[in-house]
Amino acid sequence: MSSLKFKSAAIASALALASAAQAESIEFWTMPYGDQIAWQSTVDSLIEGFEAESGIKVQHETVPWGNAFQTYLTIARGGAAPDCADMYWLHSFSAIGGENYGPMPLTEYKDRLNLDTFYPGALVDVTYLDDIYGIPWRGDIRAMLYRTDAMEEAGLSAPPTTWDETIAAAKAMHLVDDNGEVLRWGYAFGTSFKVTDRLMPLYWQAGGEFMTPDGKIATLDNQAMRDALTFMHDMVHVHKVADIDSFEKGYEFLPMFADGQIAMFGSAEQSWGKRLDAEYPAAEGTWAMAPSAAGSEDADSFSGAGYFGVLRGTDKVEQCVALLEYLSRDESILALSQGSGNVATKPAVMTSEFWSDRPWKKVVARALEDAHTSQHAAPAWSAIATPEPGGIIYDLIYNTVVLQKDMDEEIAKAQELMQAELQR
Amino acid sequence: MNGKNIFCYVMVAPALLTTLLLGVYPMISSMLMSFRSFDLLNVANEGSHWVGLDNYRDIMSDERFTQTVTQTVVFTIVAIAIVVSMSLFLAQIINREFKGRAVLRTLIFTPWFAPPVVASAIWIWLLNANVSPINHLLLDAGIIERKIRFLTDSDTWGPFSIPMLSIIAVRVWNGIPLVVVFLLAGLQSIPKSLYEAADMDGAGAFAKFWHITLPMLRPVLLVLLALLFMGGFGHFEMNYVMTGGGPRNLTNVLAVWTYQEGFQLLRFDRAAAAGGVILIMTSIVAAFYIWAQSKDQQK
Repeated sequence: MSSLKFKSAAIASALALASAAQAESIEFWTMPYGDQIAWQSTVDSLIEGFEAESGIKVQHETVPWGNAFQTYLTIARGGAAPDCADMYWLHSFSAIGGENYGPMPLTEYKDRLNLDTFYPGALVDVTYLDDIYGIPWRGDIRAMLYRTDAMEEAGLSAPPTTWDETIAAAKAMHLVDDNGEVLRWGYAFGTSFKVTDRLMPLYWQAGGEFMTPDGKIATLDNQAMRDALTFMHDMVHVHKVADIDSFEKGYEFLPMFADGQIAMFGSAEQSWGKRLDAEYPAAEGTWAMAPSAAGSEDADSFSGAGYFGVLRGTDKVEQCVALLEYLSRDESILALSQGSGNVATKPAVMTSEFWSDRPWKKVVARALEDAHTSQHAAPAWSAIATPEPGGIIYDLIYNTVVLQKDMDEEIAKAQELMQAELQR
Repeated sequence: MNGKNIFCYVMVAPALLTTLLLGVYPMISSMLMSFRSFDLLNVANEGSHWVGLDNYRDIMSDERFTQTVTQTVVFTIVAIAIVVSMSLFLAQIINREFKGRAVLRTLIFTPWFAPPVVASAIWIWLLNANVSPINHLLLDAGIIERKIRFLTDSDTWGPFSIPMLSIIAVRVWNGIPLVVVFLLAGLQSIPKSLYEAADMDGAGAFAKFWHITLPMLRPVLLVLLALLFMGGFGHFEMNYVMTGGGPRNLTNVLAVWTYQEGFQLLRFDRAAAAGGVILIMTSIVAAFYIWAQSKDQQK
């Protein structure tokens, strides 16, 4: 009998310990960035430091980018969720989840998150309806990328700084053989496979905004949109320096650029600097980055961001906030930035040695000054800007630039559709 | 109910339960959703309500959707016609005894080892106009003067375009092994005595194929065609990965359209209605299959 009591007590205390450990253990999901092994090791080492300092265990899982959107969509509809995670599309997922699921507001904890040390622009991406949802840890800033050898060959001494100079440079670098086969495209709009990302910086540079700051009124039908679309259209059909096929899925930009088949990108992701360094070391000295060229208004650069936040439904908010607090420190953001290749969201980190040891990094840091967030204060923005046929911005670009339909009609149609989407 | 029957039900139960849970339940749930409003962006606040056939009317008035339906049918019919014809030919060859048969069989079955998504990624590279080794070979051989834009050329001949034909070719390449296996099994079940009797009657190769092989393969072909049509109407991976439905929606198929509507535009109601259209199309095939099978049994 006493043996039975002893066993019961042992089991009960083991269960209590396990339960206590469980209470001090949180589940944390991230997506992979760049080299997956390097990313895993970056996160593991940060977690190790946090665990040693706080005593809170962190179970880290990586969600592949291929199904990240569906995963977070499922979470926002009540599917199995971690306690905290690496997230994006805050406005959409907040609207989808409502007050039961999806991202959790952390406004009451904001004093613990060192928010005043981040770029103010980056905080836009973690703010929804005046609430703070986490820490913006990564940025995706874009700048011009060009082949220095092509520039030299064309007799150009410096990268273009305006749209007009861009047209002239693209024409000078464009190469065609005797059969009319293009050997080198003078220009490509962007490195991202998302066609919609290519219009955004041009529209901003021409002085446009997609909607009013409150996210209620669509503002597509204006001269800035005509200027941006005309620039895109003319690069393809009038100056014939940009490949019409680059608007189709599966277009391989990186090998073409590395092989010298593309001379210049108007809006290149900063991660390409790291990729070119790592994957094409032989191309060293043949490429460089420069700030975005200015349109009639300014030289805005596309900027995206992701954030670490907490999911509704967790009972470990305190532990998650402690993790976010740890990750919001300068040294953590620097480590994340080094591990992922993404620009940091803090000025203090962007002036570090890591972000100034290569010429392209200095350009990237400089481009942050012209950053324009690609996030907008409307839940429907992710659907409006989806880079798939049927998306309003996608169809607007495709119909006017690729199919050359009447621009005024297409803009008016897009304006009407977008207004309806904003009222969804 | 005797013991043998109970044993049978117990054996079937796990598969039946799985089908009910993962197949029938989501299907019914999706069907119900197609008659309701279900906009992901506002369902949390406004809920979902009954709209009858509105979602169906809505998608049917969308030109891109009707184009997609036509293309789904064209893709499926052309791919099946080619894959079945080629497989009939190949199955007859590898059904014979000859030196190198094992090597040929291995070659024919090789595409089976590549999952559709991986195969698509490989073919994207092979068919990318700017880096395509196929283009380089053809240019070097002087067969073509300009690069073929396998996945991006938007010129059309009726419903056909080069990107559509390119994807059909890849789907055929990936689908041949399965069809060959089916047909090979069918061929091996045909009694040799039938061919011997035909030989004695002086029948030629085509006559033997037409009067013995094809009729004897009919049950296998029926199952195969039903499976291929149903799979074809719901095909997703290759079209989505290789072109995403482009250029100009020329390679879009119903499953890709449904995915885009649901997961990109967040309109689950319209996506569910498109799913309903796929269900109607596959139901027609299933009904035809059941009718043909019952007709066979009556003979």
